[in-house]
Amino acid sequence: MQKSKNRNVFKRIFSIRGVGQVVTVTIGLIMLCVVFALLNPNFTSPRNTNNLLRQIAPFLIVGIAQSYVLITGNIDLSIGSVLGMSCMISATLMTKGMDPWTASVITLGCCLLVGVLNGVLVANCKLPPFIATLGTMTIARGIAQIVNNNMNTDSIGEAAKGFRDFFYYGKFMGIYSTVIIAIVLWIIFDFILSKTRTGSHIYAVGSNIEAAKLSGVNVSSVVIKVYMVSAFCSGIAGLITCATGGLGTMDSGNSFELYAVAASVIGGVSTLGGQGILLGTVVGASVWGVMQNGLSLAGAPVALRNIIIGIIVVISVLADVVVRSGKWNRKTKEVSATDAPQIEKRN
Amino acid sequence: MQEYIVELQGVSKSFPGVKALDNVQLNLKAGEVLALLGENGAGKSTLMKILSGVYTKDIGEIRIFGNLIENINPQKAQELGIAIIHQELNMCQHLSVAENIFLGREIVRGGRLCRREMNRQAKEVLDQLNIAIDPETIVGKLQLSKQQMVEIAKALSTNAKVLIMDEPTSALTSKEINDLFTIIHKLRENGHGIIYISHRLEELQYIADRVTILRDGQYITSMNYADTSLREIISYMVGREIKEKFPRVDCEIGDVIFEVKHLNAGRLVRDVNVSVRQGEIVGIAGLMGAGRTETTRAIFGVEPKTSGEIWLRGKKVAIHCPADSIRAGIVLVPEDRKRDGLCVKLSIRDNIALPNLDILCNKLTMVKRRTKVIMADKAVYDLKIKLPSTDVDAASLSGGNQQKVVVGKWLARNSKMVLFDEPTRGIDVAAKVEIYNLMNELKRQGIGVLFVSSEMPEIMGISDRIIVMCDGRVTGEMLIADATQEKIMDLATRFENKMNQVTA
Repeated sequence: MQKSKNRNVFKRIFSIRGVGQVVTVTIGLIMLCVVFALLNPNFTSPRNTNNLLRQIAPFLIVGIAQSYVLITGNIDLSIGSVLGMSCMISATLMTKGMDPWTASVITLGCCLLVGVLNGVLVANCKLPPFIATLGTMTIARGIAQIVNNNMNTDSIGEAAKGFRDFFYYGKFMGIYSTVIIAIVLWIIFDFILSKTRTGSHIYAVGSNIEAAKLSGVNVSSVVIKVYMVSAFCSGIAGLITCATGGLGTMDSGNSFELYAVAASVIGGVSTLGGQGILLGTVVGASVWGVMQNGLSLAGAPVALRNIIIGIIVVISVLADVVVRSGKWNRKTKEVSATDAPQIEKRN
Repeated sequence: MQEYIVELQGVSKSFPGVKALDNVQLNLKAGEVLALLGENGAGKSTLMKILSGVYTKDIGEIRIFGNLIENINPQKAQELGIAIIHQELNMCQHLSVAENIFLGREIVRGGRLCRREMNRQAKEVLDQLNIAIDPETIVGKLQLSKQQMVEIAKALSTNAKVLIMDEPTSALTSKEINDLFTIIHKLRENGHGIIYISHRLEELQYIADRVTILRDGQYITSMNYADTSLREIISYMVGREIKEKFPRVDCEIGDVIFEVKHLNAGRLVRDVNVSVRQGEIVGIAGLMGAGRTETTRAIFGVEPKTSGEIWLRGKKVAIHCPADSIRAGIVLVPEDRKRDGLCVKLSIRDNIALPNLDILCNKLTMVKRRTKVIMADKAVYDLKIKLPSTDVDAASLSGGNQQKVVVGKWLARNSKMVLFDEPTRGIDVAAKVEIYNLMNELKRQGIGVLFVSSEMPEIMGISDRIIVMCDGRVTGEMLIADATQEKIMDLATRFENKMNQVTA
């Protein structure tokens, strides 16, 4: 009796879409942490834990960005460049003496414009998302370089102390503010994705765009929205980067769009769309951050770190593909048996 | 025995749940054009796929040039000289004519492609057929009719003796059809055997020597074209007894509730007028490619309309996109549920909720979970959908249950007019009856039902009024009391006679 009841609880947890993958990856994450803790006891020190969380936060934020886009079956390659653009625009405005908060709002506005552009190119002009966002990626990087005449900015100075504390150095209840920002963003966007109408539409568009259209979903508006979410999150990540260094650097955010893909995909978001939950992205981003932090603590040289992380990404996704393909075969067989004659009837 | 180059005897083929071919025979002589005729689903394509090795037969004999052939596969069929020219051409659009003709059998000398030789040989074949195409042209730049000729040339260059043409004229203009027929005549003189599949019966007089007629997977008859008439052919094509029982409900017919006036949308929807009265089911009959699906999609706002009006219960509704249509209460159960109807990776509950999120959301656009669960459970209960729980993927259900989910998502909101496009395709008999009952129930509730079907018995069994379409136009309309299969078939094959325009 006891056993069957347990199984029911299990079943209920697993019946939430996407939780299965998240649980497996979480187990992997815990194992990773154990290994790193054994390699270097400092790994679990409160100081490092806090640092680690702060390291994970930007990955999580861009991961949320990419997950939104991936779930609709598209991709956003402009994330890293928008991050760099955000960092440079905000820093430039602040060094010119603008109030940091006004500068932040203007910066986010610029980022949202890139998001709208991405969305319109993909949804209305029907460009393949890979190409469209490759274009905006280059454009945004160009803007990042041009705002301060192709130079990194000077320090944003003392006036911006509040800004730097808010985005990076401050602590709230013993936790770095960056982490709090990431968690707040995650709560908001997870709520939108799992509980609201827009969220349902995002999954429907990624699962079957034709069926979504025929169910009255305004597909273009959904696609534009996810690109705006993506650009907004990238913009926030850019402000965090600016606050971290206290200056704008032109090449900040390089390759972040791909780290974001990695965080999403490790967490179980399908690059084909329609599948994945943001809780998975949290775990995926954590795996990424733990690898970076743990390997450097263990004294691995950068090159080796990259190789190991690359291998982990491929293996985690491969494992998922293998598991899922087994499942799919069974299902499609069932269905095809009843559908075979249908094809025949079309003379 | 040498007389026939292809002989099929007693061929049967079953797919799970359906007997596609039952003891079918077919003979083809050298130097003749055999028209293979039958309604949608009669088994023409299946038979040709068996002959060309795509499918394997369950039982039966295939003799080619008098030799018994076992275990035919596409490659072997090609070696035996059987070539099939599909309705949708299979060409590499970016390669040249010669490259396409020699695809897979490229002439190589010393490890290098020998383009000059390939171009020369391609030119030779094309010249044989009097086709003026430069072998170095890129195929994608040719008109469809020319591409088709290249495909024929490709077949000939493999020394094909038997050519199967599946609806070759459906996309051609009258001039192009003329050219094609000239080529077919030439092939016939050269001793090739041609199996010609077409719905356009009026074309047969120009090319057919004999006809073979299939119906519902069975062989009906073969005869010389000269000894028969179109009327006789049609009566053989449709002359089935309708044995199945359809649940019929008679309601009092009321006022017109739904009207489509002068709808135009592309080539396949031309000046379509349709009306549905309270308490009746209207069926749209027609052959494949008659524009029925396109009509439903244009009404629903998926395809843009060039002109036309839609009236619902005395009010004109402007429909520019599906959302407009849904808001007005006109909904569509699409033809291909996997492609257009369901998000197969999402749960049944999400699928049912998808078009109804406007009802399910509170002011903050937050989805009310409880209402959503109740809505899904109600749809499952009302439509008797068999499933373990509404949490499972839509892909895991059987075809019939998937179809019910698609219907269920529309009935969860108070729709006023339901368009069904081939609602029973690919589902088993019991599920079909349930769908019919459902349509009757809608009719009883005063909801308008318009349904497209390619199955004649279903059309005759369920509708109260039948509209027949052919080639994008409505060619006739009748009450069920006046309807006969012959009448419907006759109207469904009323193509605008392209050939007359040429000869005139």
